[in-house]
Amino acid sequence: MALIASPTPTQSLGVFRRPVAATGWRSWVFTVDHKKIGIMYGVVAMFFFLVGGCEALLIRLQLAAPDNTVLSAGLYNEMFTMHATTMVFLFVMPMAAAFANYFLPLQVGARDVAFPRLNALSFWLFLFGGVFLNTSWFLGGAADGGWFMYSPNSSRLFSPSHGIDFWVLGLQIIGIASLVSSINLIVTVLNMRAPGMKLMNMPVFTWMVLVVQFLLLFALPVITVALFLLSFQRNFGAAFFDVDKGADPLLWQHLFWIFGHPEVYIIILPSFGIISEVLPTFARKPLFGYKFVVFSGAAIGFVGWGVWAHHMFASGLGPVSVAVFSVATMLIAIPTGVKICNWTLTLWGGKLWFSTAMMFAIGVIVLFTIGGLSGVTHAVAPADTQQTDTYHIVGHFHYVIVGGAVMGLFAGFYYWWPKVFGKLLNERLGKWNFWLMFFGVNLTFAPMHILGMQGQPRRMVVWPEKLTGEGFFNLQFWNQIATVGSFLIASGVFMFLVNVVVTAKKAEKAPLDPWDARTLEWMTASPPKEHNFDTIPTVHSLDEFFHRKYEEVDTDKGPRLVKVRSAEEVLAAEEAKADAHIHLPSPSYWPIVLAFGLPVIAYGVIYNLLLSVVGAAILLLGIFGWVLEPSVAEDSDYDPPTGESETKELSSVG
Amino acid sequence: MFVKPSRRRRVAAAAALGLLLAGCAKNAPQDTFDPAGSNARSIDDLQRPVFYVAGVVGIIVFAVVGYAIWKFKDRGQDIPEQSHGNPKLEIALTILPAIILAAICVPTVSQVFSLDKKDNNCVINVTGQQWWWEYDYAKGSECGGVVIPESIVTSAELVIPANTDVLLRITSRDVIHSFWIPRLNGKRDAVPGRLHTLRLQADQPGLYTGQCTEFCGLSHARMRQAAIALNTADFQTWVTNQTEAYTAPEAGTAAAVGQSTFIAQCSRCHQVNGLQDGDGKPVLAEPDLYVLSGAAPNLTNLLTRTAFAGWTFDLLTDECRDTLWNAPPDEFGALYLKGVTAECFNEANLREWIRNAPAMKPMYTDPKNLGSTGGKTRGMPALGLTEAQIDEIIAYLLERK
Repeated sequence: MALIASPTPTQSLGVFRRPVAATGWRSWVFTVDHKKIGIMYGVVAMFFFLVGGCEALLIRLQLAAPDNTVLSAGLYNEMFTMHATTMVFLFVMPMAAAFANYFLPLQVGARDVAFPRLNALSFWLFLFGGVFLNTSWFLGGAADGGWFMYSPNSSRLFSPSHGIDFWVLGLQIIGIASLVSSINLIVTVLNMRAPGMKLMNMPVFTWMVLVVQFLLLFALPVITVALFLLSFQRNFGAAFFDVDKGADPLLWQHLFWIFGHPEVYIIILPSFGIISEVLPTFARKPLFGYKFVVFSGAAIGFVGWGVWAHHMFASGLGPVSVAVFSVATMLIAIPTGVKICNWTLTLWGGKLWFSTAMMFAIGVIVLFTIGGLSGVTHAVAPADTQQTDTYHIVGHFHYVIVGGAVMGLFAGFYYWWPKVFGKLLNERLGKWNFWLMFFGVNLTFAPMHILGMQGQPRRMVVWPEKLTGEGFFNLQFWNQIATVGSFLIASGVFMFLVNVVVTAKKAEKAPLDPWDARTLEWMTASPPKEHNFDTIPTVHSLDEFFHRKYEEVDTDKGPRLVKVRSAEEVLAAEEAKADAHIHLPSPSYWPIVLAFGLPVIAYGVIYNLLLSVVGAAILLLGIFGWVLEPSVAEDSDYDPPTGESETKELSSVG
Repeated sequence: MFVKPSRRRRVAAAAALGLLLAGCAKNAPQDTFDPAGSNARSIDDLQRPVFYVAGVVGIIVFAVVGYAIWKFKDRGQDIPEQSHGNPKLEIALTILPAIILAAICVPTVSQVFSLDKKDNNCVINVTGQQWWWEYDYAKGSECGGVVIPESIVTSAELVIPANTDVLLRITSRDVIHSFWIPRLNGKRDAVPGRLHTLRLQADQPGLYTGQCTEFCGLSHARMRQAAIALNTADFQTWVTNQTEAYTAPEAGTAAAVGQSTFIAQCSRCHQVNGLQDGDGKPVLAEPDLYVLSGAAPNLTNLLTRTAFAGWTFDLLTDECRDTLWNAPPDEFGALYLKGVTAECFNEANLREWIRNAPAMKPMYTDPKNLGSTGGKTRGMPALGLTEAQIDEIIAYLLERK
């Protein structure tokens, strides 16, 4: 078998080889395939979703009755800190990364991401960081300062356990994962698009992911700096936020929210992208106002940098700052409104197919509208001084994050499951999944608006009976409704898990193009072959796949769009032109080794710096191995099918 | 079929709104839609129209989505025209929200500045610490025509003259807290090393509850407060009472024994103004030696307040508390100024607190866990007093009014 001509040596020092296992655990642990990495991201993120969900249920149980005692004050504080941290950093972000990893290369017609080994590194850093963070539960208690971790309450003086150290160092590791991944995906989108795919021909999901990667690229360094300052304060006696030594604790708030507000868009935009794929597919017409949607996404990305202090309207910034940030926050409602209008107008005049994916997508429009409108009420700064830090805010951002981001991710699950696993999720269970979650979200989070406006603050382990009130708006009733709602959401998620198991067990394969889809990721086998496309498609338009299937045909009633080719025919035409020689990146031992060094260093920072030295040695070993390994494995190149449907996976080397 | 749940929700929301407007239910005491003073009212005047506009926009969006779902579901129609949009409509739909937001923007900005005015003569210093508020009335401050003759230091209940603009100067001794009396104004954070101001004004005499709303650690949920508004005459009475000279208990009473027990057990942290030891020397509290924040509530007039320990535990029985909370404005002042009377005294709460405070309110007082603070507690430790000592201290405290 031929090796590709490569300027770098394929054999290095004779010691290191590239792993070549195509099956078994080695094929996952050492993989650099964006699809396998995407699946691993998804599985691990789903696990953390369940962890964060259990934390949420415990919080809701505690708040179901006045002066309740399910959780102690200390445990409750750890619980809400870790619920937010887990859901944001260990579920929504990595689940969006799962989708981005899997579908971004497919949507732009690439065979992998630009830096496959870095991609593997990102995943392992995320996994190890998340596990490291959660080991704090068993090592003296988790972080108890809230996910915003305001100084000086986060200093060792006020939080002497190691919880916050685990939090800081865990987020540092996860942050590296996201930063590496953002660079990787930006380069992939900018450099590896299929011929003919202009930026303004990219699917909206790819566009939104691109905007998110730029947000990550600029936001993560800010939180990285803040976390370093905090960890040096806690571990090495620095005084960046120490009031006694002249520091101003508001410094932390600014750093945190300069990261934290773009983070909101980092969380929500991938789901906007997903439903911008789902809605056109099931409405059988292109996204209404593609350019407006793309530009409003980019506008949100820009303006998102100028609104961070709306989290601080009660902090005492002075009226000028408050007025400016209040106006900027209203400004960002405009591009967000544009998106809602465009999705709605995408439905208008369509031929709507209410699959589960479509129902989740429409659910996002409805629920996100509620969250967006309550957001406008906070932009009015004086009103926000009443609303901030109450359950009104909790209701608002859960409509945005659960109703917007999470429901969007579920739309993605149902839409792309047949692409990834070759089988359709059960639609009947899917409908149960949707309705339970839809009712659950409304029952859980709508009452929180009432609770907040009735004066129930956030982050309170108890609410007292004497402040409950009577009549329709009493805190008791609505807290109980919210708790019931949270269990409905949980049962919806349970339906999804049942669906996954049921689907895995059934033998029936999904059709090649079950949704009559529009974009490139569907113009290949399901699941895709390791090299994604037999030949890199040449792109002529937005919704390329659709336009290869449908053409306008003159009939006696005038021109009509008619399906002129089936998906199988389109695919066969592509396969006929299959590239003679396909180069795929080889697996590597080193990303997991390099990533493993970081949590070891972090444990060392907390317990004993000698351990950090060991961790650093592992890290260095990983870097050296990475640099010195041969650029490709022997005989690992993919050979295209020569005859019928013979596909050849990676062969093993001697 | 698809739109039903959101419709149902809307019906419920409309019903909720109707009830709210009718005001027929007795809402929670921290209802932010029930302003009781000029500052909260100007916020309410601003937020209500925004809620209404948001509600109308929401209903329009849901109606359009609902109609589209019904109208355009797949009934076997042709594949629709592959149109990519309508730029004129797009621009209109961009400008429309911009106009709505501009209309909201103008009054918002003007309110931001007007709520920040600092022109007044009644200044009260408010200091937060884990997990209670201290109020210090500046000497010479003129509140509703009453001049504060000397500094008054109190906690739990912020007593203000009704119908008078009061300026709070807010800071913190440890972590960030946030001062919030929803019916009088929005929140203002208490940040260590910084001084923030907040205006308060109550139209009528009454009790207005509030809570710390910036997460401040273990007992954040038990850091509460109330503002008490009194008419001018009542406020004058309150000020006179707070500043009158210390009266020692009559010799031979349980309270007199309690005074020495208090000096021995409590006075190292808790100040009682005018208290003297057996040698006639003033007893000065030094909470800075024992408590991380460096402060403990001043107990000079403890029994003029209705709750203690971050306004968490009632000094009044439930019945008396409800009577006070529901008193009409013209009777409220007299009732409040009676303080905690013998028949209204909720002894169980105070007794349990003195016996074992950390069991009632989670605090960092266990000596094993005080490494990071050099042995200083955060909150009141269990003092290991005998029941007899507790009796004596309660007898002494009952006279602090």
